[in-house]
Amino acid sequence: MINQSFLNSIEQASNVVGKTWPLYSFVTSNPLVGYENMHFAEAIKSVEQLLGATTLPSASAFRQAFEQGEIDQDIIYKLLVEGGFNETIEFYINQLNSEVTTKAFNENHKLDRIMVKWLSAFMDEGLAEWEMPHKEEGFFKSWRSLAIYDNEIGFKSLGAIPKTSSSALQEVLGKHSAEERQRIFEYHLGALPGWTGYIKFREKDNTLWQQAYRITLEEYLAVRLTVADVIKAQILPEKQALTGENPIRNLQHIFLKAWEKTWQASMLTKLKQQGIDAGSKNAVDKYDAQLVFCIDTRSELIRRHVEKVGNYETFGYAGFFGIAMDYTNFEDGLSRKSCPPIVGSAYQVSESVLKGKTGEVEKVIKRNERKTFVNYFLTRMKNMLPSAFGYVEGAGVFYGFSLLSRTLLPAKTYSPERRNQLDYENVCSPEMNSTSTDINHSSIPLEEKIGIVKSAFDLTGWTQFSPLVLFVGHGSHSANNPFGSSLDCGACAASPGRHNARMLAKLANLPEVRNALRNRYQLDIPADTIFIGAEHNTTTDEIVIFDSEVPDSHATKLDALIQNLKKVQEMATQERLGTRSSGVPAAHKKTNNWAETRPEWGLAKNAGFIVGPRSLTKQINLEGNCFLQSYNWELDTEGKALEGIMQGPMVVTQWINNHYYFATVDNEKFGGGSKITHNVTGRFGVVQGNGGDLKIGLPLQSVNSSDDRLYHKPLRLSVMIQAPKDRIQDILVRNENLKSLLDNEWIYLLVMDPTQENEVVIYKKGLNWINTLSKSDTMETINS
Amino acid sequence: MALTQTANHHTQGSIVNHKEHQIPFISKIAAPLLWLFFFTSIALLTYYLIEKPFWNIQNIFSINSFTLLIWTTVTFFSAIVSTYSKSYLNGFTYQAKFTALCLGFTLSVMLFVMSSHIAPFLICWLAMGFFMAQLIGVDSKWGEAREASNFAQKFFLTGTICLGIGVILLAYTTQQYTILGIMDNLSMVSDYTLIVAALFIILAAIIQSAIYPFHRWLLSAMTSPTPASALMHAGFVNGAGILLALFASVMVSSNTLTLLFIIGGLTAIIAQFTKLLQVNVKQKLACSTIAQMGFMIMQCGLGFFNAAVAHLILHGFYKAYLFLSSGEEIAQGTPHKPHKISIKPLEAVVVLVFGIAGAYLFSILTGKTDMTDSSIFLTLIVAITVGQTTYNIVKQESFSLVQKVFVPIALFVTGIVLYALLYNGVTIAMADLPMIEQPQPLSIIQIVFGIIFLIGFFIMKLGVYRKVPWLYVKLMNISQPNAQTVLKYKTLQK
Repeated sequence: MINQSFLNSIEQASNVVGKTWPLYSFVTSNPLVGYENMHFAEAIKSVEQLLGATTLPSASAFRQAFEQGEIDQDIIYKLLVEGGFNETIEFYINQLNSEVTTKAFNENHKLDRIMVKWLSAFMDEGLAEWEMPHKEEGFFKSWRSLAIYDNEIGFKSLGAIPKTSSSALQEVLGKHSAEERQRIFEYHLGALPGWTGYIKFREKDNTLWQQAYRITLEEYLAVRLTVADVIKAQILPEKQALTGENPIRNLQHIFLKAWEKTWQASMLTKLKQQGIDAGSKNAVDKYDAQLVFCIDTRSELIRRHVEKVGNYETFGYAGFFGIAMDYTNFEDGLSRKSCPPIVGSAYQVSESVLKGKTGEVEKVIKRNERKTFVNYFLTRMKNMLPSAFGYVEGAGVFYGFSLLSRTLLPAKTYSPERRNQLDYENVCSPEMNSTSTDINHSSIPLEEKIGIVKSAFDLTGWTQFSPLVLFVGHGSHSANNPFGSSLDCGACAASPGRHNARMLAKLANLPEVRNALRNRYQLDIPADTIFIGAEHNTTTDEIVIFDSEVPDSHATKLDALIQNLKKVQEMATQERLGTRSSGVPAAHKKTNNWAETRPEWGLAKNAGFIVGPRSLTKQINLEGNCFLQSYNWELDTEGKALEGIMQGPMVVTQWINNHYYFATVDNEKFGGGSKITHNVTGRFGVVQGNGGDLKIGLPLQSVNSSDDRLYHKPLRLSVMIQAPKDRIQDILVRNENLKSLLDNEWIYLLVMDPTQENEVVIYKKGLNWINTLSKSDTMETINS
Repeated sequence: MALTQTANHHTQGSIVNHKEHQIPFISKIAAPLLWLFFFTSIALLTYYLIEKPFWNIQNIFSINSFTLLIWTTVTFFSAIVSTYSKSYLNGFTYQAKFTALCLGFTLSVMLFVMSSHIAPFLICWLAMGFFMAQLIGVDSKWGEAREASNFAQKFFLTGTICLGIGVILLAYTTQQYTILGIMDNLSMVSDYTLIVAALFIILAAIIQSAIYPFHRWLLSAMTSPTPASALMHAGFVNGAGILLALFASVMVSSNTLTLLFIIGGLTAIIAQFTKLLQVNVKQKLACSTIAQMGFMIMQCGLGFFNAAVAHLILHGFYKAYLFLSSGEEIAQGTPHKPHKISIKPLEAVVVLVFGIAGAYLFSILTGKTDMTDSSIFLTLIVAITVGQTTYNIVKQESFSLVQKVFVPIALFVTGIVLYALLYNGVTIAMADLPMIEQPQPLSIIQIVFGIIFLIGFFIMKLGVYRKVPWLYVKLMNISQPNAQTVLKYKTLQK
């Protein structure tokens, strides 16, 4: 029984740390996810105390923002007065400076160090040739069998170490009260939040590594507390005096709010002035092609250019294209999640060989085998005695030439053509099966296929089809980048989105699906419309089209599109990289340069999520600040589609936004710190320098343009939906989790009500709504 | 002020106007400057080898082909590192300081190898260590980095003191104050003094090369930015090879070669085993470097100082590359058990024949044809390496029979020919130095040690070590970074 109460207590305490995702599938999640049911202000206060983290933007960030006009004078002034701060703005900006962080000695230095040593040895995922002995017995047992040899700890005999993790916990904690135990657990789980977060990840996701080598938070605490007991480290934390109201903290909150309000006001002004009027419904009769991009902020820029270069329509839709799937990679045979981490995978997609391409497929397989062999061969030569020495002498000259070419010619040695030619997507076609192991249910019923295709058009508010419809997932290419997967599609759990796009295209091309849509739902897809999967490379703005199954009838149209997309690439890279010419070579250099720490900016600068038809935003340069979800309230009479959008994409964008926020305000604690001193550990993570806590988030170079200049603006997400207010109110009433996010100020919600002449109202705690029209009206909001 | 500039940039309001962080002036010019140095060094080296000029400045500095060879090497690495760092360190607060330290380091190496007087010689050795320690702690706001820097600095200071004692002792007894002068007058030095001096010089060398038990500084030096590590592993730790080559005569006449052979050989084996259990990529590379340095010292111990210099250059290419690409180690894998070693008779024959063929080619091309002296070790290592290459390829099922025969041949012939070219080039460039190639008659100790080496090889090959948990923990603990350089500090909110 005692054991069960321990476990409950550990489970509860584990909320103090978030999950740490492995870098090969990096999820931008909210590091404070365990606190989301608290108010933002309360949550950050708790975290500050427990982790010693900074949770609000620094004084210099506010100063930069103020001086750049990103914090509006009037808005901040009013907010200050309201909060009872009556001096000048400048006075308070200076006061913000009085907050200082100090360095202190880590009181559990030795304990933390010993734990990192054992954790990294146990949790390694194949970096070491010689793995920790007895790993298969689980963390506690394997540690126990080795710990007697560790003279840093100094056990006298094996008998001195309890046999199981629960008896170990019992032994150390027996004398403590339940309340003290809780504090002990929180304190020790919070000591190395990155590592404990990774244990949490392994436990929850039950990865292959976890199945083979089990580790649990209970085992971790058992080892940690046993060691702490022997080396006389601090077990029960001192009670921290609860700090009362901190005037500086209040000030920081006010500045943050003013920054966010300023951003909202300027976005609304743009929407009002250029968006709504200009975009009113004079839609073209028929577009030459329609392209669906991910809601990702990076899609905004390329969509603008696609629309500019031809008679094309673009949409925004979550980049997993509504297919809750895992994908088995054809090259390594590994199955990876390819839908948002908050969604369970119902389907397993894998590749099957296209007719007449068997020969090519064999070549692909051969190439993979060769690649695997070369890796194995090189590792073997480098690791073994004495070939390690002979190998260095024989191969050294080649390394010398590689040093030269990779350092001096990164752009010239990048060949997208060759890369695309080698893609197995040209010779394979995706097949969808159920993840259920029950053989009878492994094939997918037609109903589900129809459902997937239908909801794509429902959610995005589709009305008419052009001959070419492209589903464009996105992925990235960067060299020597441990955080490469953080640049891939977040909606696909940090995988490239190409497979979901190809799968949806294939489903939408199925005659039986089209028939059913026509007969049952009056959704008439013309016979000459063809759906094609594609991928937007966000580092080079190239769009690769997977056209192996496109009939010849569409070849001319497709060629024209491909030519135009080349122009788009040049225009988009020029705008993104701030050059007047040669955007593509500049992007190629970024993508292939092993010395580049900022190959692209990912989702930095995200601040808003706009749900509505493209006509709202088509005339505006949103500067990559917004996620864009296509939605047509008129077609969604029951609000079902909107509810889906708010439950899915809105929550995902909130995660991403919170991740960027916290990684920006405290990059050491919530981010990855600077890349330049990263040390890859266990093939799944990074630590700084000689070692230490596992890093949990985006590196400095993803959010800052230099060590002390922010690139990302730490603003909480402002969601803007065009739909009748009452409909949204109903959705919030039905979904307590969404209402709680709003009430607790993790995000903002602005509603543009088309039934009220597109008047914009902003949500306020407890289902209240406040009018806000333009910048001057925002003032009233704040006053009321 | 910067603030007003950016206010400006914002009002234009688009990502387009986002300017990259300004790169400091010194970091902009460092790379072109170093490439210029590199090409000049090559040109000078070529000229020197053809014209054999006599370049000597007041007996304080002198330049010969060995000087130019090392100049070429160190400027190559510095130029690569500077080009790389220009973008890699973009936005780093201490980018200018980093570049200045790299330049300082490069210049001190260049001056070191051109010093003929012992005063600049010793000062440069000290300066090399100073600049490297500063690079380890270049981020001076970071507590653990400061600790690591101080920790390394203590080793380097100790190394300089040892070198100082050894060299000054020799200078005092010979009354010669240039390196060459000392070498020419070693006969004046008593055996006792000579051994003491040699031991101090060896100490200085193995501290620099992080040879066990002085390895800890290198394992604690990951607080330096990645390109500094590349420079450290390609251009600093191998200083021992240069030092021992310069003092080859002292080592030979003091009969300390066997000592070098044992120190190097033991370190090579222990560090290579330690490397196998590393779970952090940079520590893994550091253990590999220690093993390679051990091997280099072993080559010195066999009397092949030229082979040691060839090794330090090739290892520099190898290790710089691996550091600069160390971000590529992230990958999703699956748990699997180690491969079983098995070999069929026919495969064994192929492995054996190719091994012998490789050894033969190597001994011909590098002139190590005498089977009764210490060169047999180097030949043996080549034979085994070729055997291992062949083994891995013949076991690979995706290869056809023809490929199984020709791929190993192509690989070992290319590898050996390229190595021999470099080796012979190095030998020519080192011709001015005394006693750089002194094959030793085979001694009992060498044979015993050769057997130990073979046992190590088999233990590793057969994976026996996996069954010894005790050894795992011991090796894990000796390869931990210094305690003060990990998790010592934390941040507090006030």
